[in-house]
Amino acid sequence: MQIRDLPYSDPGAPDVRSGFRLLLWLGRMQLGGQLKALGWGVLQLASIASFPAVAGLAVTAVVHNSGSDLALAGAAMAVVTVAVTVGDTMLHRVAVTNWITAAARIQQLLARRTAALGATLTRRVAAGEVVAVSTGDIERIGWCVEAVSRFSAALLTTLGVCAALVVYQPQLGLLACAGMLALALTVLPLLPRATRRADTQRERAGRATELAADTVAGLRVLRGIGGEDLFLDRYRRASQQVRHAAVRTARMWSFIEALQVALPGLLLVGVVWYGARLALDGRIAVGELVMVYGAVSFLLLPLQLFGEFAMSYSFSRPSATRAARVLGLRRPGEDHGAARADIPKEEGKVQAPPAETRAPVGLYDPGTGLHAPPGQLTAVVCGDPDAAGRLAERLGGHPASEADVCDGSDTEAWAGSDTADLEGKDAAVQDRRDAAVLGGSDGEPGEADQTGAVHPEADRTGGGEERAAPASVLLDGVPLDGMPLEQARAAVLVQDKDPVLLSGTLAELLDVPSSGQVTSAQALEAAQCGDVLKALVQGSPDADGDPMRARITERGRSLSGGQRQRLALARSLLTDPEVLILDEPTSAVDSHTEARIARELVKLRSGRTTVVFSSSPLLLDRADRVVFVDGSAAAVTGTHRQLLHSDAAYRAVVTREPQGAAPVRAGRRTKAAHTEGVESA
Amino acid sequence: MSPQSTTATSEERPDPRQWRTRRIGVPEPDYDPSAPEDVTILPVGSPATVRSYVRELLRRHRRSFVLIVAVNSVAVVASMVGPALLGGLVDDLAAGDRELQLGRITLWFTLALLVQTVFTQQVRLRGAMLGEEMLADLREDFLVRSVGLPPSVLERAGTGDLLSRITTDIDRLADAMRKAVPQLAIGLVWAALLIGALCVTAPPLALAVVLALPVLVAGCRWYFRRAPHAYRAEAAGYAAVAAALAETVDAGRTVEAHRLGARRVALSERRVAEWTAWERRTLWLRTVLFPTVNLSNMLIMGGVLLLGGVFVLQGWISVGQLTTGALLAQMLVEPVGLILRWYDELQVAQVSLARLVGVREIEPEGGSGTAPEGKEVRAREVRFGYHADVDVLHGVTLEVAPGSRVALVGPSGAGKSTLGRLLAGIYGPRRGEVTLGGAELSELPAEEVRRHVALVNQEHHVFVGTLRDNLLLARQGAEDAELWAALGAVDADGWVRALGDGLDSEVGSGGLTVTPAQAQQIALARLVLADPHTLVLDEATSLLDPRAARHLERSLAKVLEGRTVVAIAHRLHTAHDADVIAVVEDGRISELGSHRTLVAANGPYAALWRSWHG
Repeated sequence: MQIRDLPYSDPGAPDVRSGFRLLLWLGRMQLGGQLKALGWGVLQLASIASFPAVAGLAVTAVVHNSGSDLALAGAAMAVVTVAVTVGDTMLHRVAVTNWITAAARIQQLLARRTAALGATLTRRVAAGEVVAVSTGDIERIGWCVEAVSRFSAALLTTLGVCAALVVYQPQLGLLACAGMLALALTVLPLLPRATRRADTQRERAGRATELAADTVAGLRVLRGIGGEDLFLDRYRRASQQVRHAAVRTARMWSFIEALQVALPGLLLVGVVWYGARLALDGRIAVGELVMVYGAVSFLLLPLQLFGEFAMSYSFSRPSATRAARVLGLRRPGEDHGAARADIPKEEGKVQAPPAETRAPVGLYDPGTGLHAPPGQLTAVVCGDPDAAGRLAERLGGHPASEADVCDGSDTEAWAGSDTADLEGKDAAVQDRRDAAVLGGSDGEPGEADQTGAVHPEADRTGGGEERAAPASVLLDGVPLDGMPLEQARAAVLVQDKDPVLLSGTLAELLDVPSSGQVTSAQALEAAQCGDVLKALVQGSPDADGDPMRARITERGRSLSGGQRQRLALARSLLTDPEVLILDEPTSAVDSHTEARIARELVKLRSGRTTVVFSSSPLLLDRADRVVFVDGSAAAVTGTHRQLLHSDAAYRAVVTREPQGAAPVRAGRRTKAAHTEGVESA
Repeated sequence: MSPQSTTATSEERPDPRQWRTRRIGVPEPDYDPSAPEDVTILPVGSPATVRSYVRELLRRHRRSFVLIVAVNSVAVVASMVGPALLGGLVDDLAAGDRELQLGRITLWFTLALLVQTVFTQQVRLRGAMLGEEMLADLREDFLVRSVGLPPSVLERAGTGDLLSRITTDIDRLADAMRKAVPQLAIGLVWAALLIGALCVTAPPLALAVVLALPVLVAGCRWYFRRAPHAYRAEAAGYAAVAAALAETVDAGRTVEAHRLGARRVALSERRVAEWTAWERRTLWLRTVLFPTVNLSNMLIMGGVLLLGGVFVLQGWISVGQLTTGALLAQMLVEPVGLILRWYDELQVAQVSLARLVGVREIEPEGGSGTAPEGKEVRAREVRFGYHADVDVLHGVTLEVAPGSRVALVGPSGAGKSTLGRLLAGIYGPRRGEVTLGGAELSELPAEEVRRHVALVNQEHHVFVGTLRDNLLLARQGAEDAELWAALGAVDADGWVRALGDGLDSEVGSGGLTVTPAQAQQIALARLVLADPHTLVLDEATSLLDPRAARHLERSLAKVLEGRTVVAIAHRLHTAHDADVIAVVEDGRISELGSHRTLVAANGPYAALWRSWHG
């Protein structure tokens, strides 16, 4: 595998049973590269190791006053030089290639897994884990996998050099080997401690960066209200803590480094002392003394490699465990056995499985009795604010949040099958802390609490809600939950309250699977995006005035809330699904524009089934029918005007109070506003 | 963005030499992930600014630098005792001397080793300490500058650019400060001392260094011309891989609803391809550098041995001198590697440093105005635009009487928000004036303006930290009772009390997640504490779920009581109760009056009101 051939057309099916197995699997997948690295590594180290021999040769030649021997030593040196250079360069190339191919493979696997998990991932506490794996863990994993071959090469060469020393000069060789062993054993136990300190330091640094980023993100608030000093002081404290932690780590490393000077130094002193005595006795030549000295100092190089490998392993083990856990995540209902992360197919056609004949045509929710007849614009008004979002999600079939709550095998799905080991639990607890939500109780750690974190609203509103999965929503009598996910998503598009604009050009944003019946110009026009296009062009000087080439930053942060909402609406309209469900599509849009959107929406969606969750009279007034869902059932159905006149509860929800009205005055105020409205009509 | 990339792509027929290297090596990939996608809005420091900052930094830490050089010199000199003693030993042995004082030599050896050990440890530690101090200085300096930026700059530039500077650029500098600067200092001293020692031991042997130097210099020049840009692009490419994935995770719902899974996978793979293309490029650069460095190392060592051998044979130097020289030459490998390893890090760091100190070039504004007398806000004939030649407001005049409520309504992009920002003193008008109690608002420093006027917008940032910190920022030194009173005033005391730790609860990312409505209540409680007499509300509740907004409006109403309010309203029910409604269209106020007056006037406002109320 060469770097130029990346990305992999198929990154394979990883072994996610544990972190160690994942590392093994990655190593196995690049066996060829590993062997190549081993070969070059042996060449590199062996040629470096033979340098002292050449030096000894030269010294001997000089001592013996032999010019021809010196020339021979020169030739040997040329050979060694070439070997070292080639070995070093090729080893580096192969090792880096191994590192990069391993990293790219995991990145690709992650991308596929993320796409497959889709909406369920945002609800899961694991979302942060995926990002953590992608940003930090992969580098360590790649490092460790790659280091295996270099470690093996070092081991082989060390054994070789030691053996040669022993054969060549048994006493001196044994002294050197024993010393090496002692060195390896002295430094290795210190490494985990140094690694731990480094972890603390990284954690503190992360905290400081977070504080700085947080302060900067809220800078407008600080400048507008005050408190700069408060936050500066806080940051200074965090920054100094990082410094202290870093110095602590550095102190540990400085001691390790001092040991690495002192111990090999002592070994050298021993070798020189003993060797000099041998030379005094005439048992070895002077050149040989230089050679042994050089060989012992060479052995420090593999020693460093041993240390590096030990460190890379201790660094990457938790990373690999986390990566295995993330790659082992499965959607509820997804085949647990199939570890292969399939790319979801894009175009799904709805075939008609056997329909329930008694169910009404169109979209029907047996849970609430909500019915959206085909080809009509149905508006839904919810009395309970929290219920609306969940209802909208359920209408699309395969609801991610409910699946998560109901999924009894959650642990299994998210820790891989048999690796719910100690680390897994630690991470789970950590996640729970991260994702803890206001109002959540301080229960004992465990899955039950995770559920609470996933569904904060449920806990706050008493938690006594029915949690059993309600019956599936039916589309023309066919249960959506029973359809394959792709099919259901193709048939029904649910635009949630907070749709995300993916970064890229406007053309890329609008490049979504669609029916092809609606052009992007029509969709943008209907969603009243004129001023958005203007703003986009102004913000992207390199778009040359073409809004389709203008860039949208991540989450559309450069746009206002209303502008983002309208672009998201345009995207959904462009998709032109059989059934379109919009949850508060215009809540951040001003009344002028909302009125125009309502008009255009009706026109563009004529003949298609549309459901709009809203409480804005401007939208409700345009709907063919309005369903008022109070509590958990569709209470009344009618046109906006009918309901406004006939239903007091509906009127109270829709005709919102002017700002400043206390609830005590609510009744009077509503009536007044309402009367006035009727008068002026 | 770099000179090489432009020549590589723009020239149609490159000269043969270039063509040949391009065939063998890996040219720069076309796509450069490190090229800025968004226009950098905040300035990047000029070389002069960077230089003066570096000088200041060095001055601040002069003593540490001197100390490190001194300690390092001792360590290096001690490390050379071994080779020197061995050289002597070899000389004596070669001379057939049998009366060696081996014990004394061993003692010296061990003593030198002890000194080297202690001083090496000290060098590492002091180097790290120095690096950490400089790094802490850098990041703290940057934040000090950032929090002093004028609100208009923040409003216009957004916080994204600053954010990337304090995260990415600080990260990049971390390695440079922590390692590159001290290691380079160490490496340079080390190499210089070794070469010096070589010259002292056996002056003719220094010839080997002279021989190798041109090779090393030529290779390094080639490499360092290309490396910094390539590494920057490589790092940016790698970050882009992670960013694409993070976005897919973040947008999970949208991705699934729109069936974008396959496209996101394809995007991730494209990012992987772009990143690895740069990895290939840097790998190629190293494929050239490594043999060069190896070759020059070998040239030095081989040169010392062979030249030295010849010199010994000629009787110009002794065997001992040769041995010492060879061992010193071998030791030279390490500092040379050190210098090469960290030199390009320093080059990369320079770019980040320029971005960090760029913030220093922004002039603080305001501060010269007179103190306001009175509370009324007036805009007279105000013209204003974000770009030099495009005005957004065309001569707007508006009076806001103390205690009154003014609603600004109108279509998107008409200039409501801009007018609101002028009234809140964030921007100064291009023509005309905006005054508060007779004083020009834009002349006042932010610290003064915010005592009188506050802008309340969709941005209700909850800071990482305790709830108390989040409130204290509005009134520093406030007692807990005051904080509770403020929370009570916005109906937030209930849920705060329900938290285990009350005011000490950790909120913000990493802590407890507050709902948008709770975040808004925290923002409102801050307003109660800050207690400005005039508020400009810009769609304060619009991003909220309308269903949650209903509960919040009560809290907001309490905050507004007794204050002057300018509300940018896009919901008509907000406008209905205002004393004065100003309809803003195309940067002008087209209608002005109370709800009743405007409905009676039967203009645009009346039409909208009718459609709203059926």
